[in-house]
Amino acid sequence: MDGRPLYLEPRLGPRLRSLLAATGTLHTLTDALGSPLHVVVPDQIAENLAGFRSVYRRHHLSGQVFYAHKANRSSALLRRLAATDAGVDVASLGELQHALGAGLTADRITATGPKNPEFLWLAARTGVTVSVDATAELEQLAALVRRYALAPVRVLLRLSGFETPGVRVLSRRSRFGTPVRESETLLKAVERHGDAVDLTGVAYHLDTTSVAEKATAVEGCLAVLEACRSRGLRPRAVDVGGGFGVSYLAEREQWEAYTTELTSAVLGRRPPLTWGGHGYGLREESGTLRGALGLYPAHRSVAGASYLDELLSRPAASLGGRPLAALLLEHLYDLHTEPGRALLDQCGLTLARVLEVRTQETGGELLVRLAAKADDIALEDHGVLMDPVVLPRGGAGPGGGPVAVHLFGSLCLESDLITRRTVFLPRRPEPGDLLAFANTAGYAMDFHATRAQHQPAARKVAAWQDGDTWRWCLDDQFWPITPSGGAQ
Amino acid sequence: MRYDSITEAIGNTPLVRIDPAVHGLRNIDLYAKLEMLNPFGSVKDRAAWSMAGPLLAEAVEHGSQVVELSSGNTAKALAVIAGMHGLGFRSVTNRMRVPEIKDLLLLLGAQIEELPGQSECLDPTATDDPLTLFHRTLSASGSAYLHTDQYFNPRNTEAHLTGTGPEIVKDLDGRVPDWFVACVGTAGSSTGVARALREEDPSVRVVGLVAAKSDFIPGIRTIDEVQEVGLFDPDTYDTMEAVGADEAIEGMLTLNRRCGILGGPTGGAAYFGAVRHLRPLDEESEERRTAVFIVCDRVESYLSYVRQRRPDLLGRPPRRNSPADLSDAEIAGAPSVSVAEARSWIDTDRPLVVDLRSPYAYAALHIDGSVNIVDELFAELVRGGLPFGKRQSVLLACPVGEQSARYAALLTRMGHPDVRSLAGGIIAWRDAGAPLVRD
Repeated sequence: MDGRPLYLEPRLGPRLRSLLAATGTLHTLTDALGSPLHVVVPDQIAENLAGFRSVYRRHHLSGQVFYAHKANRSSALLRRLAATDAGVDVASLGELQHALGAGLTADRITATGPKNPEFLWLAARTGVTVSVDATAELEQLAALVRRYALAPVRVLLRLSGFETPGVRVLSRRSRFGTPVRESETLLKAVERHGDAVDLTGVAYHLDTTSVAEKATAVEGCLAVLEACRSRGLRPRAVDVGGGFGVSYLAEREQWEAYTTELTSAVLGRRPPLTWGGHGYGLREESGTLRGALGLYPAHRSVAGASYLDELLSRPAASLGGRPLAALLLEHLYDLHTEPGRALLDQCGLTLARVLEVRTQETGGELLVRLAAKADDIALEDHGVLMDPVVLPRGGAGPGGGPVAVHLFGSLCLESDLITRRTVFLPRRPEPGDLLAFANTAGYAMDFHATRAQHQPAARKVAAWQDGDTWRWCLDDQFWPITPSGGAQ
Repeated sequence: MRYDSITEAIGNTPLVRIDPAVHGLRNIDLYAKLEMLNPFGSVKDRAAWSMAGPLLAEAVEHGSQVVELSSGNTAKALAVIAGMHGLGFRSVTNRMRVPEIKDLLLLLGAQIEELPGQSECLDPTATDDPLTLFHRTLSASGSAYLHTDQYFNPRNTEAHLTGTGPEIVKDLDGRVPDWFVACVGTAGSSTGVARALREEDPSVRVVGLVAAKSDFIPGIRTIDEVQEVGLFDPDTYDTMEAVGADEAIEGMLTLNRRCGILGGPTGGAAYFGAVRHLRPLDEESEERRTAVFIVCDRVESYLSYVRQRRPDLLGRPPRRNSPADLSDAEIAGAPSVSVAEARSWIDTDRPLVVDLRSPYAYAALHIDGSVNIVDELFAELVRGGLPFGKRQSVLLACPVGEQSARYAALLTRMGHPDVRSLAGGIIAWRDAGAPLVRD
């Protein structure tokens, strides 16, 4: 191997650290249930929820934390959440059925995203809150309520296209929501359908890591709520969506060193760090770096609940510079949040068996083939770069020092690469070893998984600690009352 | 000195020796090139004038808009130059993190566009980064832009090759300094000065300073970000070193407090980086040597930057009558009334009801007959003494009853006999179904 290894070690909380130490259990599980295998840790989601709740308490805010279900199909995680006081945000008919079946009652569910008529009907019938995307959807909902003589449905109005005074922010255009500029039409529709819908507040969800852009959106929401009140409507809540983020890596220094070396590699000043010289969005043009790094910021000093805290502490420029939390509070608004990835932080990992380790005759990286498809371990699909942990089959042997490897998937397809980058491992993996990809519960387990080439999609198990040992069951057999520690 | 135009005052900035008692170097004379004394306030005045100047006549003819990617000083200088010639100016940036600079640009008539933050749900296949899109709009047909392109424009470097560099040599009586230390932003000043100095004496050592990767220092790029700069050539620098934001502020404080040089954090970073680099070399050296660094702009625009990172530097002595010096016991013992008690108290004794929330919240919904004194203002009033007569009973209300309890305790301590806090605040009031009105 040339040069020093560029590790990107995963950040491991106490639960995942303990689970990874249970090597025997993980090998047995994968032997029995096949590779790849997802393991979810339901108790962690309750702990993450508590982190969000404490930010609410610090700012004296009330309101609901809605778990964005789309980030993981797991039943165990949803059922564990049903045993807390959290809500869930569902984005399809199937997710709504799943949430209702997991024990979440209608008052704890919001329906968001693009909706087909069946989804809208079940939402209206069961009385969940509907986050309305546009005036046409509101009309559709009101028609359903009247036609089937349903009780008025609680609605949030999803807004987009927020504007700042002075500075124009070139935010990415969103497919979703009603532009603030057109909100008056929407409010008129709310008034027109006052017998069928009950306006509870407004919502936004911006796809950005920028706190400043989100703060602008909150201010925009407050302005629209004021317009609602002046019309005699009585909204009570602002839903600030999700996107609070996760910090995946343990060490900031590793992330910084890696990205600097990647830049050098793209500029041709060091050997490539990727399969085929891929630049992750960066490219070289006459000695200068161009493009933008298309990677998730894998080490973040502020993520999850602390990101929410930062947003809430931010002063609102258009409203006298008071912090957003103070404004929400004194306007008597509830705060709703929809964290997905952030609630699933440290909630699971994915195991894949090493099938082959090939040494290239010309030297260079080892070619490691896994019993898993790239879509089973979708970290790369979200731009997350993070090393797997090697779990040797026969306990830790001598190892022989760090190695550089390429990780290939099991499909008969050139592009089935678990990651395009060269991965540095502290020891050479051997066939039969497991590679454990940590922190995959948010979007990286089943969001992209296929059954291409008649290969299986990964199975999922739920695991929990019972004293010093880890116990498990199949994901869909987990309930909060599952014996020996499943419920707390 | 008399000028016909302010732009003639650009350049010929002083070179000031830093007192050795401050930096502690025994054998090295350290000089600061005070680019902060350029007329629009920074080193960028030179580049802006050099890049835009020759194109202005044509731009005026076409009514072009001046466009640049800049988060600060270049934008400031270009906004002024554009304004002087009756042209509009637009700055596109994702780095404008200092609010005073943003406000100043708006004051100067600039139009500011901010690039969005990175996507949270990343689509790694999306190849159009915001900058590519920006360049596409500039080259779209029918557009009249004067794009100064500071990161790629050789006239940026040239301003320093023909101006800043030769000025330094002249002020050192024709000698080239042994070291030149500069922060790297567009790389224009460091590249231009380095080239000018090397032409006179190739033995000059050039130290480039970049920001530590996780840090933000206005006007300086990190080691990765400099690679995006067309003017940046690693061979310009004999060594590249990183400076942290705290170090930059430390250096800035020394310049401000000990040297009488009111430079900003970039100049502070240059001073700190220079002294740190030179100290070990000074110990080895026996003969007299010279080093020069650049102070690129002034401190006044960075007060919020300092407040955010070093609030202690802007600390004030503790104030009288502040709710902050109440004990927990005093707050817990503050006289308070429940919603029901408050309602009957209002009906019978008509206390003055003071709502401590912001005017926006008050305007939206409030207790009928209450007056709004926002908490910040109330704190100011109380600092000067009791704002109500002692015979006037007072009910204080805030969102959840926390602040009102603090102020009730404080006013009680200050001798008011009948001030009470609304327990649970306006939220409890609403939840109890008590009336709230809009006027």
